[in-house]
Amino acid sequence: MESLLHFARGPLFRFCLMIMLLGLARILFLDLWEAYRAYRRAGDKKMPWRLIVRRSLEWAFPVKRVSRNPQLYSIASILFHIGLIVVPVFLFAHIGLWKKAVGISWPALPFRWALWLTISTMCFAAVLLIERLFVKSIHSLSRGQDYFWLVLLLFPFITGFVCANLNISAGLYRFLMLVHVLSGDLIFLLIPFTKIAHCVLAPFSQIVDALAWKFPPATDQEIVETLYRFK
Amino acid sequence: MKTTVITDQEREKALATIKKPEVIERQKLNVRYHVEDFDVSDRPRRFLEAFAAILKHSNYKMVLDHFIRMTARCSRCAVACHIYQATGDPKDIPCYRSGLLLDVYRRHFTLGGMVRGRVTGAGYLTDEKIEEMADSFYNCTACRRCALECPLGLDHGLITHLGRYILSEIGIVPRALVVSVRAQLEGPYHNTSAVPVPALKDTLEFLEDDMFEEKSVRIKFPTDVEGSDYVFFAPVSDYLMEADTLMGIASVFAATGDSWTIGTEDFDAINYGLFYNDRIMERVIKKVDSETRRLNGKRVLIGECGHASRTAKNFLPTFCGGSDSLPVMNILEYTHKVWKEGKLKLNPDVVTEKVAYHDPCNLARNRWIVNQPREVLRSFCRNYVEMTPKGEDNICCGGGGGTVSIDEIRPYRTTIGGKLKADQIRKSGCEILVAPCANCKKQLRELVEDQGLNCRVVGFHDLIYKAIEFDDSLKVEQEEGVDQVKNGQGRPSDGEGK
Ligand code: SF4
Repeated sequence: MESLLHFARGPLFRFCLMIMLLGLARILFLDLWEAYRAYRRAGDKKMPWRLIVRRSLEWAFPVKRVSRNPQLYSIASILFHIGLIVVPVFLFAHIGLWKKAVGISWPALPFRWALWLTISTMCFAAVLLIERLFVKSIHSLSRGQDYFWLVLLLFPFITGFVCANLNISAGLYRFLMLVHVLSGDLIFLLIPFTKIAHCVLAPFSQIVDALAWKFPPATDQEIVETLYRFK
Repeated sequence: MKTTVITDQEREKALATIKKPEVIERQKLNVRYHVEDFDVSDRPRRFLEAFAAILKHSNYKMVLDHFIRMTARCSRCAVACHIYQATGDPKDIPCYRSGLLLDVYRRHFTLGGMVRGRVTGAGYLTDEKIEEMADSFYNCTACRRCALECPLGLDHGLITHLGRYILSEIGIVPRALVVSVRAQLEGPYHNTSAVPVPALKDTLEFLEDDMFEEKSVRIKFPTDVEGSDYVFFAPVSDYLMEADTLMGIASVFAATGDSWTIGTEDFDAINYGLFYNDRIMERVIKKVDSETRRLNGKRVLIGECGHASRTAKNFLPTFCGGSDSLPVMNILEYTHKVWKEGKLKLNPDVVTEKVAYHDPCNLARNRWIVNQPREVLRSFCRNYVEMTPKGEDNICCGGGGGTVSIDEIRPYRTTIGGKLKADQIRKSGCEILVAPCANCKKQLRELVEDQGLNCRVVGFHDLIYKAIEFDDSLKVEQEEGVDQVKNGQGRPSDGEGK
């Protein structure tokens, strides 16, 4: 198990991280390339930059939007996201790994903070899961991957929490640690192929939205001709 | 703001269809609005062909790819949608609605979707799915309020817009909209209500006489004056139903003396293309451009009409010359500008009732026109109240996206579509509701009637007309200079048009 853990932490982790980075770079490139093409084709190139920046900021710091229209799901989701981003990156135990994998390190989160953030992230994930299961509107929209991701994201948090804070046998510790690392690897691996791609795409949504209303000029004739060719 | 879900009885009334079963059978389409007969064979294939053709020649691929890569299905948009709030039906959640089309795109136009579809054999586009889209995309009023609430920035109104576009290419489009557009693009009178030019001129003359009687000023509606600063396009229905709005606008010009004109070749601002087909929108907007250029006008001025203003403002540059296109202004902007310049005298003792302002989605959603009319109204309406939410967050009247023109769905519009708005109006306690948009006005009046609200719906310039006061000198000069007025200047004493 030791060697498996070593493998999962080392080569496998680097592989998954690389797939994630390459995958995200690919979709980001495709997305921005399409946006650039759309801009080139647009008849009207004047972009409403003020509105774009304003709305992007509104969701980057969603306090105003969410407080104006408070929904339990949104609040839980925001707090969940905070833990999701902060804990894996700033946990003391992880920074060593990061240093090994990518060669850089940064200051760690104090232990108590990390502990509370881990607990809160698990709690908010549970809230999200419960809402997805039992609130009619959210339940009706939920797909398999929406449940899958919540459960998958819970794995490293629960195992990490148990390993770091509870007094367990060495065997169980190693097993949980393996689950912890493997689930982390799997998360990295799947990110670019699922809805989690929003981690890199969301900041560009407002630009895409604005561009989407910038149509190419004179498509009337072309579309008629293309449609006619089909017949 | 929230509303309660409608009762079963209301639901039955709102969703009832007046269509004959044999028509539904013949058209193989069970939707509440009338559709002209169309080819019903092989519909899924034709839908996909139209989709492919549109994708090829538009920018929609970009946005669809972006959306399918990250839609999170959090359902936050549900709280924004006035339709969902009234029905409580998960099928009315914006994300579900756009999912209908996004699924088709994913399945038939992405590699992953195609492979998965082949392997599982599922997900093919069927007649039933097309019918569901045909129903859903016309339940949505394309108000785009949900886009503001989406943490990931999905613009569901855009998907509705695209969905309707594709549907229209296979013949599924409300008859009310096509008939109007046909009259505008192919009819002898070039406008959606088929108003002949002599009738238009009669109306204008009649209004001029009215204004003279009421204001003792010879205020004109100049027609076909070349070289004017503003070429004015009102929604044609205003000439039939909104006398006060038009008189208010003419009065503002009389007070400022700026030159303006109404072209008689094309005078209708309405552009239903926005509601169902980009190609149609392009054709209509080009008429606005060519009419303004025919008259050598400097600017396009759109009357009190939300969708027409947005179409002209956003799409005239798209289809008619980019940064070299003619500048576009909405009449509220103009009136606000001249009011700020101190050119309007508005009597604060005339409008004493409780007044509220309704933001048309097409003017306010992008924060284009929000404060301008409010500033003017506050200056002379003593008893002005606000409805919340307002501005870019405003609640749709329930007749947006062209649905107001579909008379057969009135019960739907006033029971479901307008329910949240009705609650908001009731809460504000306003006696006069100002709605500077022909579509909003029609919907809100029907809402007032059907929901038993206690207020009157008027245009913005209706109140301006009531309150505006003219210089005595103008009155005297007007009396002397009647002939000059006929030459088309807003102010007879100015002599040559500016
Ligand atoms: S655009 Fe308006 S009506 Fe349509 S789904 Fe969004 S909020 Fe509802």
